Amino acid sequence: MNRRRFMTLTGSALAMVGGGRALAQGDKRLRIDPTEFRPIPIAISNFVPGSPADGEVSNGVTQVITNNLKRSGLFAPIDQAAFIERISNIDVAPQFQNWKTLNAQALVTGRMTRQQDGRLKAEFRLWDVVTGQQLTGQQYFTSPEYWRRIAHIISDQIYEQMTGEKGYFDSRVVFVDETGPKERRVKKLAIMDQDGANVRYLTRGSDLVLTPRFSPSSQEITYMEFGQGDPKVYLYNIETGQREIVGNFPGMTFAPRFSPDGQRVIMSLQQGGNSNLFVMDLRSRATTRLTDTPAIDTSPSYSPDGTRICFESDRGGRSQIYVMAAGGGPAQRISFSKDDNNATYSTPVWSPRGDYIAFTRQGGGQFSIGVMKPDGSGERLLTSGFHNEGPTFSPNGRVLMFFRDPGGNAGPSLYSVDISGRNELKVPTPGFASDPAWSPLLSSTSG
Amino acid sequence: MKVNVDKTLVASIALHVLVIGWGLLTFSSKAFIAPEESLPVDIISTDQLAQMMAGQKTGAKEQPKPKVEKIAEAKPEEDAVGKVTEKKELIKTNSTPEPPKPVEKPVEKKPEPPKPVAEAKPKEEPKPQEKKPDPAKEDPIAELQKKLDTKKPPPKPQEQKVAAVQPQQQPKPKERTFDPAQIQRDLDKRDPTRHALAGTALNASASLGSTSGAAANNVATWQGAFQGAVKRCFTPTYNGQDANLYEADIDIPMKIDGSLASEPVIVAVRGPSRSIAQAVAESARRAIVQCQVYSFLPKQQYESWKLIPMTFGLKDML
Repeated sequence: MNRRRFMTLTGSALAMVGGGRALAQGDKRLRIDPTEFRPIPIAISNFVPGSPADGEVSNGVTQVITNNLKRSGLFAPIDQAAFIERISNIDVAPQFQNWKTLNAQALVTGRMTRQQDGRLKAEFRLWDVVTGQQLTGQQYFTSPEYWRRIAHIISDQIYEQMTGEKGYFDSRVVFVDETGPKERRVKKLAIMDQDGANVRYLTRGSDLVLTPRFSPSSQEITYMEFGQGDPKVYLYNIETGQREIVGNFPGMTFAPRFSPDGQRVIMSLQQGGNSNLFVMDLRSRATTRLTDTPAIDTSPSYSPDGTRICFESDRGGRSQIYVMAAGGGPAQRISFSKDDNNATYSTPVWSPRGDYIAFTRQGGGQFSIGVMKPDGSGERLLTSGFHNEGPTFSPNGRVLMFFRDPGGNAGPSLYSVDISGRNELKVPTPGFASDPAWSPLLSSTSG
Repeated sequence: MKVNVDKTLVASIALHVLVIGWGLLTFSSKAFIAPEESLPVDIISTDQLAQMMAGQKTGAKEQPKPKVEKIAEAKPEEDAVGKVTEKKELIKTNSTPEPPKPVEKPVEKKPEPPKPVAEAKPKEEPKPQEKKPDPAKEDPIAELQKKLDTKKPPPKPQEQKVAAVQPQQQPKPKERTFDPAQIQRDLDKRDPTRHALAGTALNASASLGSTSGAAANNVATWQGAFQGAVKRCFTPTYNGQDANLYEADIDIPMKIDGSLASEPVIVAVRGPSRSIAQAVAESARRAIVQCQVYSFLPKQQYESWKLIPMTFGLKDML
């Protein structure tokens, strides 16, 4: 890396000092602005097993990485059947011509070795096939049962190196698992890896659970549960399994969500026929009212810098999206449908990147998932259908997950789509699934 | 022990071998050879063409440079009209078959009106030429009579030429004989229609088009071809709402064969996120290296693309 950076800087200096003959002639630069998106062709060689016993985990890691990169839509893994060269030793530089022939821009090689202490050692190298340089190389040690997480971490490294953006593979999704007939659905809180693997159930299904949301700073979730009495907001620690009631509020509480620093929870409380926004400090348990209107204000979501809140409100007659300061005050409506005056907007979610607000739009007999800029401009519908709802952003703000209910006797399923509307994919779940919430990167919360 | 050989099986095998062998030879693919030069082609409507070629009525009048085809003492292009006039004599002689007048000489002298001939006998030929346009109003019979009177023809060279051609016309059977030597003679006697235009520097065209229109821009350039070639390999991935803010300036040193003289140099990267901007630049650098060799670049213009400065942006990615 240092050598490469040095070469680049040296080259830049040389170009500026003496190389720019054509530039000196005053010619303007030729310009290229690609108009179509194409995924990066990448070759992922099977990880080499350190011993014959490591063959299975080696293949597993290779498959998880390939699947992650392919599902991201940004990479086009090349079919291994087309490979000309078999990597048997990752410490020897590959024959790049063999990979150039396949039009690969990058090559991943790796090795999985079980150590004498029982731990698993994972090594990988990412090569720039075109220039023949190693872009990155890392090694990790972990317990054998966490091999999938190692594969996700390596996927994130590759993603970041090639795109310049943080990855999102080492993350989890909490959702409501639904089983049983439509009239008597059992809804359980469940958590899984972002690719649908490692499903775990957090509740038994005796009580109805709704709107689970991840803490942005710890492995905690908040959700709403209908018990015998009023629905209550709970905090649940995924690592320890402990849960606690956030607070007792008169009336119904809805749509709890954490602040970006994880220190507060914002929610709506029903009072009579109205519903207003409140924020509660998790340390002091002090509650502050943010809105006071004769309307239904709900589904609040913080901007990533914590200075603003977007929420839905029917104060104008129909449900629309509004933005206001985090401490309350005047709110500005940002959702305006150009083609349907009767369209309503709900479930706004602010992107972790800060550049978009995702929403559910109902109009023309369809439910759509879309994004708009925080000032309401640039609205873009990403998918439409009978019933799409509940968008949640990936940790890097690049992908949205939502649930889709096709109607009839079938139940909802989880889907993901790129924020540009490309690459819509079904997320595998054991049964019906709804109300997903994406966690931050595990490495940013638990290390 | 006797082995029974199925003749139909043998015939079938032989036939299959023949057919497959023939197929292998006949359908063997040939390597695709890329053309030396590529020509960018745009399909445009007639309206677009008219718009591109349009000048301005109020534009200043152009002063085209004189064309030059060989380097020598400057000699302006001659007036073509004069040349045509000189040649008319030949045409005249050949095109005599107007009226199928009786005998020999009348044919020769037909074009010449009677009076001028009489007057012009001692004079030069140009005059009859001048008068040719006004064909005689006289009675052709009287004309013929006069010709018979003035039988002795003027021994002018041109008239001889005419006479030489004429005999071939008269004896019909001989008319069809092909005499290349005669044609050669005829050709040799002609003055060249046009001389090479001389000047101090070669100049194939008077101008690059209308100074006031857009015709001069309608030139397929190596820049366009190069941009297209690199674009095919450029696969940036960022499509955030601020994608238009990301740019990478890269200088590309080239060899005359269209390959890279050395690694493309990342001169500058711009964008809100340094890591994303650097990834854009690296993606562009890979594209440049991967898509070489750019053999379509015109070698005559090597000086203009010895170092190609390029900017890669993402403004159209969303």
